[in-house]
Amino acid sequence: MLVLPSAILLFAFVLYPSGVAIYTSMTNLSLTGPAALNPRFIGFDNYTKLFSDHTFWRSLVITFWFVLFSAIIGQLVLGLLSAILLKRQFALRPFFNAIILMPNAVPGVVAALMWSSMLASGEYGTLNKIVAWFGVDPQRWLVTFPLSMIIVVNIWRGIGFAMILMNSGLSAISEELYEAARMDGATTWQAFRKITLPLLVPTIFLYLLVSTVTTIAIFALIYALTRGGPAGATEIVGIYIYNQSFGSYQLGYGSAIAVVLLIFSLIIGTFYVRALKVEV
Amino acid sequence: MGTIVLNQVRKSFGGHEVIKGADIRIEDGQFAVFVGPSGCGKSTLLRMIAGLEDISGGEFLLDGKVMNDVSPEQRNIAMVFQSYALYPHMTVAENIGFSLDLKKTPKAEIKRRVGEIAERLQLTPYLNRKPSALSGGQRQRVAIGRAIIKEPSVILFDEPLSNLDAALRVQMRAELQELHRSTGATIIYVTHDQVEAMTLADQIVVLKDGQVMQTNDPIGLYKEPENTFVAQFIGSPKMNLFPAKVESVAGDVVRIRTDAGWPIDLPAIEGLRAGPVQLGIRPESLTLAAPHEPAEIETRTVLSERLGMETYISFETGGEPGIARVPGDHSLPSGTPIRLAVDPSACHIFDNDGRAIRSQSA
Amino acid sequence: MALSKTSTKAEAGRYGVLIVLSIYCLMPFVWLLVAAFDTNAGLFLETPDSVSLNNFYRVFAEEDGLRWLINSLIVCGGATLIVMLLSGFGGYALSRTNAWWKRPFLYSIILIRVIPPPALIVPLYQVMLALNNGMRWLVLQVVPREHMRDVMQIVGFIDGYLGLILLLATMHLPLALWIMKTYFDSVSPEYEEAAVMDGATFGQRLRRVLLPLAMPGLAASGLFAFIACWDDFLVPLTFVSSPELRMLPIGIFSAFLRANEIDYGLLAAIAIVYTAPAIIAFVLARRFLVQTFGGGLKG
Repeated sequence: MLVLPSAILLFAFVLYPSGVAIYTSMTNLSLTGPAALNPRFIGFDNYTKLFSDHTFWRSLVITFWFVLFSAIIGQLVLGLLSAILLKRQFALRPFFNAIILMPNAVPGVVAALMWSSMLASGEYGTLNKIVAWFGVDPQRWLVTFPLSMIIVVNIWRGIGFAMILMNSGLSAISEELYEAARMDGATTWQAFRKITLPLLVPTIFLYLLVSTVTTIAIFALIYALTRGGPAGATEIVGIYIYNQSFGSYQLGYGSAIAVVLLIFSLIIGTFYVRALKVEV
Repeated sequence: MGTIVLNQVRKSFGGHEVIKGADIRIEDGQFAVFVGPSGCGKSTLLRMIAGLEDISGGEFLLDGKVMNDVSPEQRNIAMVFQSYALYPHMTVAENIGFSLDLKKTPKAEIKRRVGEIAERLQLTPYLNRKPSALSGGQRQRVAIGRAIIKEPSVILFDEPLSNLDAALRVQMRAELQELHRSTGATIIYVTHDQVEAMTLADQIVVLKDGQVMQTNDPIGLYKEPENTFVAQFIGSPKMNLFPAKVESVAGDVVRIRTDAGWPIDLPAIEGLRAGPVQLGIRPESLTLAAPHEPAEIETRTVLSERLGMETYISFETGGEPGIARVPGDHSLPSGTPIRLAVDPSACHIFDNDGRAIRSQSA
Repeated sequence: MALSKTSTKAEAGRYGVLIVLSIYCLMPFVWLLVAAFDTNAGLFLETPDSVSLNNFYRVFAEEDGLRWLINSLIVCGGATLIVMLLSGFGGYALSRTNAWWKRPFLYSIILIRVIPPPALIVPLYQVMLALNNGMRWLVLQVVPREHMRDVMQIVGFIDGYLGLILLLATMHLPLALWIMKTYFDSVSPEYEEAAVMDGATFGQRLRRVLLPLAMPGLAASGLFAFIACWDDFLVPLTFVSSPELRMLPIGIFSAFLRANEIDYGLLAAIAIVYTAPAIIAFVLARRFLVQTFGGGLKG
């Protein structure tokens, strides 16, 4: 049985913990206090508490905006744009290609470090110097617009991946189709809307699945840059779980959030299974 | 109306010139075929007429108007692509009606005209299918439908039959001729297959290395090739070319002796002087001579290919083997001595640069 | 082959957009590169007074940079090796078998892949704690008490290499299994059949036929596993507390959080040491990216 070792590891570190998460979510387990030693089974209390907890809902809303604006809109649009602009062969193409891909290779913690300099407050911060040319006063970017800035940073990191996928989707569309469309009288915009977009739908769908999954799972970037702050403004659900569990030591409560996130992920996962068309 | 005139049209990619000054005239309603070996520039020429490639030099006129800088959709020209280029995400009906849809034609009008076209091309049962669910011949017809719905004055075909099997090709040739008759549009058709060219064309343009070698109707090309390239490109098996010398001109008879030593008497040709020439004889102009009959060529067989109703005989010439295409089945093992008679009226003389030498009256 | 006569306006627009995008992508790197060589770097981008390799020297001499780097290499390297080994065998079996568990197993792999790690971090902590206690008991049976700590650093599950390696390997195993399964699907079984006909034993088939054939797939799954492990922050953050086991991302993070004056030059230098292997691995992995994530699109 060549698969057995893999199966054992996956069971030990994924399936069993998932079960533990469900069980823990029904206890008042905590890292400190009396509940740390003798957790009590409390049924669905954590869930009822969860659904009436506005910080949980806020965290879900933040996650939603974060995924929508960074992965679905920002990375996709800019990635598609770069893929289209870089479709034709020209001298500087490999150069631009490499530049757009570079942020993709940077580990999350380093990305956070780089952007903490970019977004530094005060008139010497790099972004503040740039906006000063346009007559904008220095801002405290991570304090005034925390979620928007996290989105900007995450878009920065993801354009390259979106570009690579879109590029492969575009190159699968035969050049003859565009010529046929020109003969049929299509303008550049019509050709994009009626030929390129519909034929890219499978690629875009796959991209949305992959990027939604990876964007929800983002941890290092946000944790190192803001730790979910200020005042929970960038606390996407993964960060929220971590803060609840290891910051407030509420393991039971944290697990309840984790279970909700698990269920949501599995729903996306089933779409993913269909998209990949598992062949046997 | 669709009269096409190309005046010294040139095309270069980078520094490399692929069309070297083409002069072509195609009358309205003609079925013209551009034929030539791959890389001769025939597709490039077609794409320049379509407007998909710009013209580096010279003029392209459609009905007397210069079209060089007119965009493709305003030329009133349609094109059928080699791989058909059907939009895979659209149904047959949407494919055919796409150009009307782009022009914001009312839906009902599109539906009516697509219906008519589908009727004509026997596509009605397939209107709601995607191209991937169609056979090769059906895809071809959808591509044609997409072209003719624009009621173009010119339809361009870029090797449209090359993706079909042999039987379907014969059938589609007939359909294309019918299409030409019913639309009355000028058709320009590109192929590398001389049989396709011969069977379809009113006018054939033979191209080689970006230059027009000859323009004529099919039989004209076959009977009066202007150079050795055209002579050998048209006809199958290809014309034999024997290096030869004009030995004597006596009255109205010219005696030519091939380098292999065979003497051949031809009717006199104006301007033919003693000296080296190339003698062209089509394989079908050679016949096996019975022992008592006169024969110009005496040689041995190299190989005979028996097709049943006729036999292709390769024979020794001292250089590249010659070939004769004779009716009936003949069993001639390699090395058999044979005698071949030449039809003097079907011989072609070319000078050493490959240009035909021929009487003006002929 | 579009018309070569594109208007200069469109061409200028193309370059304009690309240049803006490039500035967006490059700008953050500038500070990092400048600060790492600036002897007196701050948080702000500025022209350095003096340029030297001093920051890099200090990463290794004054700080525990070398230890962090070695820890990262041991953990990520170990996890990558395990992933390659398990996904090679597992992918082969998944591709060739027709057993009843094949489809459920493949579905599970994909589902597991979409689980965000933060969702499992709490129960994982509990599981790792239990495993650690078990291991501690086991170690106590064979090792004298005074060596306990050293041994646990290697085989422990919390604050131990073994736990980190196994956990990281498991987290990135599903993708690797998927890559190898699809990869072996594209390798015809006829190669092995030919080897059988040539009289090769199982061992010979593995070494001489399967392994060379599987190399590109293994390279892809190994590279992706390495990149993901190297980037991982949550696992070392949660399961490492002793300074001896600290890995690069946490090294950077803790230097960043230092209460007194943050030494930005030092920080930038560590970041560069940390980023360089990631970029190299990414460059190598780039050609596999499309195959891996776009592979499901065919058919």
